[in-house]
Amino acid sequence: MRGNKPVVGIIANPVSARDIRRIVAYAGNMQITERANIVLRLLAGLGAVGIERVLIMPENAGICQHVMRGLTRASNLGEARFPVAEYLDMAISSSSQDSIDAAHRMQEIGVASIIVLGGDGTHRAVVSACGDVPVAGVSTGTNNAFPKFQEPTTVGMAVGLAATAPELADIAFRSNKILEVDVAGRREIALVDVAVVAEQYVGARALWRTHNFNELYVTFAEPEVIGMSVLAGLLDPVDRDTPEGRCVYFDKSDNPEFKLQAPIAPGVVAEVGIKSWGTLLPDQPCQIGPKQGSIAFDGERELSFSGDDRPTVTLRTDAFRTIDVSACMQYGARSRLLRDHRGERVSVSNATKPQQED
Amino acid sequence: MNDVFPLGKEDLLKAYRTMKTIREFEERLHVDFGRGEIPGFVHLYAGEEAAATGIMMHLNDQDRIASTHRGHGHCIAKGVDINEMMAEIYGKSTGACRGKGGSMHIADLSKGMMGANGILGAGSPLACGAALAAKKLGHNGIGMSFTGDGASNQGTFLESLNLAAIWDLPMIFVVENNGYAESTSVDYATAVDSYVDRAAGFGLPGVTVDGTDFFAVYEAAGEVIRRAREGGGPSLLECKMIRFFGHFEGDAQTYRAEGENESNRANRDCLKMFRARVTEAGVIDDQDLDAIDTEVLKAIDNAVEQAVAAPLPEASDLTTDVYVNY
Repeated sequence: MRGNKPVVGIIANPVSARDIRRIVAYAGNMQITERANIVLRLLAGLGAVGIERVLIMPENAGICQHVMRGLTRASNLGEARFPVAEYLDMAISSSSQDSIDAAHRMQEIGVASIIVLGGDGTHRAVVSACGDVPVAGVSTGTNNAFPKFQEPTTVGMAVGLAATAPELADIAFRSNKILEVDVAGRREIALVDVAVVAEQYVGARALWRTHNFNELYVTFAEPEVIGMSVLAGLLDPVDRDTPEGRCVYFDKSDNPEFKLQAPIAPGVVAEVGIKSWGTLLPDQPCQIGPKQGSIAFDGERELSFSGDDRPTVTLRTDAFRTIDVSACMQYGARSRLLRDHRGERVSVSNATKPQQED
Repeated sequence: MNDVFPLGKEDLLKAYRTMKTIREFEERLHVDFGRGEIPGFVHLYAGEEAAATGIMMHLNDQDRIASTHRGHGHCIAKGVDINEMMAEIYGKSTGACRGKGGSMHIADLSKGMMGANGILGAGSPLACGAALAAKKLGHNGIGMSFTGDGASNQGTFLESLNLAAIWDLPMIFVVENNGYAESTSVDYATAVDSYVDRAAGFGLPGVTVDGTDFFAVYEAAGEVIRRAREGGGPSLLECKMIRFFGHFEGDAQTYRAEGENESNRANRDCLKMFRARVTEAGVIDDQDLDAIDTEVLKAIDNAVEQAVAAPLPEASDLTTDVYVNY
């Protein structure tokens, strides 16, 4: 497919943002119809900059039906701004596995990039399977540190520009860190944080019982985000580009040296006892302290460990690529890519080189 | 709640016993119904045990539930006697409702079980009434309705969401989403296949959990029930689950994919998942669970023997229990 007209993938998994944080916190609820609306806005943005074909992950919770309904209505109204939308031919499990399978399939097909609707968890699922295909995120999840809130129409345009303008390669993409966790030979990744908690069951997955927090490892630590990583962000911030992470060790005693007040979930500002924290350097495995418990990846308990499992956490740099929406749009502006001169749209092939506005 | 498991060993064994009892109760009915020994219709709950059990472990006799046509699991988990249930399903006078209700109308008010219900979607308004009573009486009981994915398209369900919201009732709407409304896939039959979305439309918080994972259900149910008890108002709990048998006994299940049932039994069996988790964590030994398996099979055999031997209702019983003074 590469070398032909670029195709963009979209993964919108309806199972994201349905967890218990709607009960134990005040997490939002991104409704199915709104998710479909976001896909339509992405398609409009992609179509506007010349993407003619989009591959979408199939699902059976209603997003697809609402998207196709929207496209049919647009067609009836004579609106031709949408690219052709096709659904991947794949089995649907109605779980996060669908995101993994779809990303893997899209990578095999050779899509130029994958747009992900969801939170940290959905992005993690996609990144685990998309190889070197760059991703762009639209935040719909709950405890999102990784994807940022951005208008989908603009994301669609930026992704379209990145896919159609080879000269953007140097500025369109940024590399990202991950955390690798090895548990008895099983490898898992996290994009933002790995939390070690006392519960020996996965249960409802989310983290909110602060008295069960043991350890935290993060790829980046921003003090203005929500979720587990903010605990590191409020102690010792580190950005997404610096080749180091942070680790935090919690004090569960009744009398910690200090308690940190942090927004660990929407509407939940908790006090957490802090024992110590430090810097995580790349490629240096760090052994998890507790002998048993569960590990949460990007905010959700995923697996339990005990006995001889002895999990390790390793920070990796240059692990995957994301699309820099702002850089792409600025390039589009400076290259006058989006100007229409008396009916003649400036295309990527005849664009002027980036320049300052007159 | 401790740091490691949400339940101690005794309660974990109780949970397993309840799930296993539901499973064997239904497996036995599947066989006996096929032999033509049971009157009426039965709709079996096998495969869905983790949901009823994980939820009902948080309830007491004061809490009232309204069940569905697929109500055996709810009854057992709520504490209804299995001998009386079996007799009821056999239509015998020793049954929970003196043999007049059968499978779809088993009730035991002493246990807070307001009844299975042959009318789809009929349970939600009833449970709202129980929740209203609990609120007015000032005790901290709750009302809870069970609804399938199909019945959640009924007006009664949607009206009840509204009622619970405006009266701020201690009410939980459990949606048991097993993917099929009889034989119609939820993908087709429901415009927006997220019941959390529906709750949000009425201002209720909701959560979706893997209904085959006892611990996921137990944890989420604990939070929504605590919320209702403590004045936090109504909410919705969607359990995504697997039905091992057909909609009704005798259903040819031509709507299922090839190998779907076998795959579900092999990979999504909530009893197997429960056993694996508690034994891997070293909390319970296999032998303890094996012993429960044996006891449960005996108890089911005993229930069937008693039901078979029990007398049928008399013709004169037709005019009793028609009206109740209260």
